[in-house]
Amino acid sequence: MKKTTSPLTVGKPDVRPSLPSHVPGVREGNQPGSLKRSDGIVDHGTHAVATGRRSTGLNAREREPIDPRMPKLTPP
Amino acid sequence: MSVAGEERKLVEMAWDPVTRIIGNLGIYTKIDFKNREVVECRSTSSLFRGYSVFMKGKDPRDAGFITSRICGICGDNHTTCSIYAQNMAYGIKNPVLAEYIVNLGEAAEYMFDHAIFQDNLVFVDFCERMVKETNPSLLEKAERTPAPHAHIHGFRTIADLMRSFNPFVGETYREALQMSRLTREMFCLMEGRHVHPSTLYPGGVGTVASPQVFTDYQSRLLEFMDFVKRMVPMNDDVFDFFYEALPGYEEVGRRRVMLGCWGAFQDPDVVDYRYEHMTDWGRAMYVTPGIVLDGELITTDLVEINLGMRILLGSSYYDDWEEEEMFVERDPLGNPVHRRHPWNQTTLPRPQKRDLEGGNYSWVMSPRWYQQQTGDHLALDTGGGPLARLWSTALAGLVDTPWVTATGHSVKIRLPRSRRFPETELEWKIPRWANTLERDRARAYFVAYAAAMAVHFLARALDRVQQGDVKVFQEFAVPDEAIGCGFHEAVRGVLSHHLVIRDGKIANYHPYPPTPWNASPRDSFGTPGPYEDACQGLPIFEENGEADFKGIDIMRTVRSFDPCLPCGVHMYSGKAKILERRHSPMLGSFSPPGDRRHP
Repeated sequence: MKKTTSPLTVGKPDVRPSLPSHVPGVREGNQPGSLKRSDGIVDHGTHAVATGRRSTGLNAREREPIDPRMPKLTPP
Repeated sequence: MSVAGEERKLVEMAWDPVTRIIGNLGIYTKIDFKNREVVECRSTSSLFRGYSVFMKGKDPRDAGFITSRICGICGDNHTTCSIYAQNMAYGIKNPVLAEYIVNLGEAAEYMFDHAIFQDNLVFVDFCERMVKETNPSLLEKAERTPAPHAHIHGFRTIADLMRSFNPFVGETYREALQMSRLTREMFCLMEGRHVHPSTLYPGGVGTVASPQVFTDYQSRLLEFMDFVKRMVPMNDDVFDFFYEALPGYEEVGRRRVMLGCWGAFQDPDVVDYRYEHMTDWGRAMYVTPGIVLDGELITTDLVEINLGMRILLGSSYYDDWEEEEMFVERDPLGNPVHRRHPWNQTTLPRPQKRDLEGGNYSWVMSPRWYQQQTGDHLALDTGGGPLARLWSTALAGLVDTPWVTATGHSVKIRLPRSRRFPETELEWKIPRWANTLERDRARAYFVAYAAAMAVHFLARALDRVQQGDVKVFQEFAVPDEAIGCGFHEAVRGVLSHHLVIRDGKIANYHPYPPTPWNASPRDSFGTPGPYEDACQGLPIFEENGEADFKGIDIMRTVRSFDPCLPCGVHMYSGKAKILERRHSPMLGSFSPPGDRRHP
């Protein structure tokens, strides 16, 4: 990136704006694969559905809707 | 009203800063009191817009959060616009449900901001106490004039209406404050926090799409509907009265119809944020983008709109960037991109003394739109936002939903039954002029438009939720090299963000909010900006003479554009001279005589 000169008089910077905002090794929320790792969400591309795991971590498989045709609503 | 062959006595009058708006806007005029005309006008800003300077080198994912801070009242419009630009750069689109959540949040923002600006800030210029000070005979007439829609809003005469606008005590003023709380709550349900959203990201939203979040929004929306159904006829009554009681008032703030609208409310079924398809998804927006010139719609194509943008200097405190780097030589469709386009702009601030007589006098640059057919650089205005949005949508005739329909010559808005009123249909018709009163009137109608569209988005979103969809986020990787542009409508008009990414970082970023368009100074061709243009030649209807002149007609005109100058950062001015003299049309009892400036 070409550095431009500015006639503005400014103070000594106390940050380096070119510092990476991301620390290598830390998982990024946006990175591909994040949705797959989200508990309780099954991704189908254009849409996704929730499972009982989204509402509870205790015996989640026992907490699915009684009728499989019922929508699995997100808890409020 | 030009006076040829006669020496004119011009009196300099200045309003700096203009009150009841955000930021430091100064209006410097030369007035011919004998012939009751504003002869010359210059608009200045003492704010430096530095975002394009310090965004360089930052992580592009942060852009939405940083640019939101450009404004303290429409920050979410910047976040949304930045997300549109980033989605294009990352090659992703928001899931359908996320798009509806963004649309609902933005609709709440339009309802909130337009209502609070109109009823708590603009109407002070039309309130009983102000009119009593500036046009006593008009008030007398208002006392005798029955309000045509009294059966809806409950105010018997026009003077009763004006009394309800009185600041802090008037009924409309106080009700609007309560409504602003309600609409902010609606906003927060969708975008997490007002006015800098916490749940909007590129790729989607963090709002959990539960049925409850939508029904909470709906209950507030229906309460707000009652207010809208009273507010629109109230506006019609007041503005129609001004036309009738002050013949010739249509000339106040009138300028050539040169309006720009960049479109709002994406259609999630069409938008894919690919530049190659921008023409199609731009036209599918629920507020149609377009440029209206002399009443004709000359384009609705976002690609054409994008390529026609030119940032001119001429009276601004910047050095030219002719010698700087070209970031984007061709757009993804292969069209050449001009050096003065925001993608290729480099901001080089050059602070200097203000020179109102032929020199540089503002930190605002002069954005113009280049019309290829004529070779003109058009000084488009936004008509305060709503006038351009409604005009462009009406002429295009593309919006057709159960609640809002564009007919080609008007916009029909249906509002569902609410607690106090039955289902109501409103129709905004294309006005004969782009002037002060029509800019203000359109604002009231656009509140209704946003409310009606919100009903549509709610129904579509709830339908999806009830089918079990929970997807509100799309994952993505940040590319090393990419470009993007976002087009949206900030509350007061056109908003674009242009982004260039290199090495995974921002190499160039230029937000262009509405105020640079409206408040721009004279450009390199000598063309005045819209505020200046609208005030020059303005006939004066105020009854006060030179000694106690308040400039109410000028202030109504400037405020009709919904000025908002904080699209930048304050600059440290060292030991600069502090200006203490000011002249503001405050209410008489609050304005000590020493505050007035009479050159």
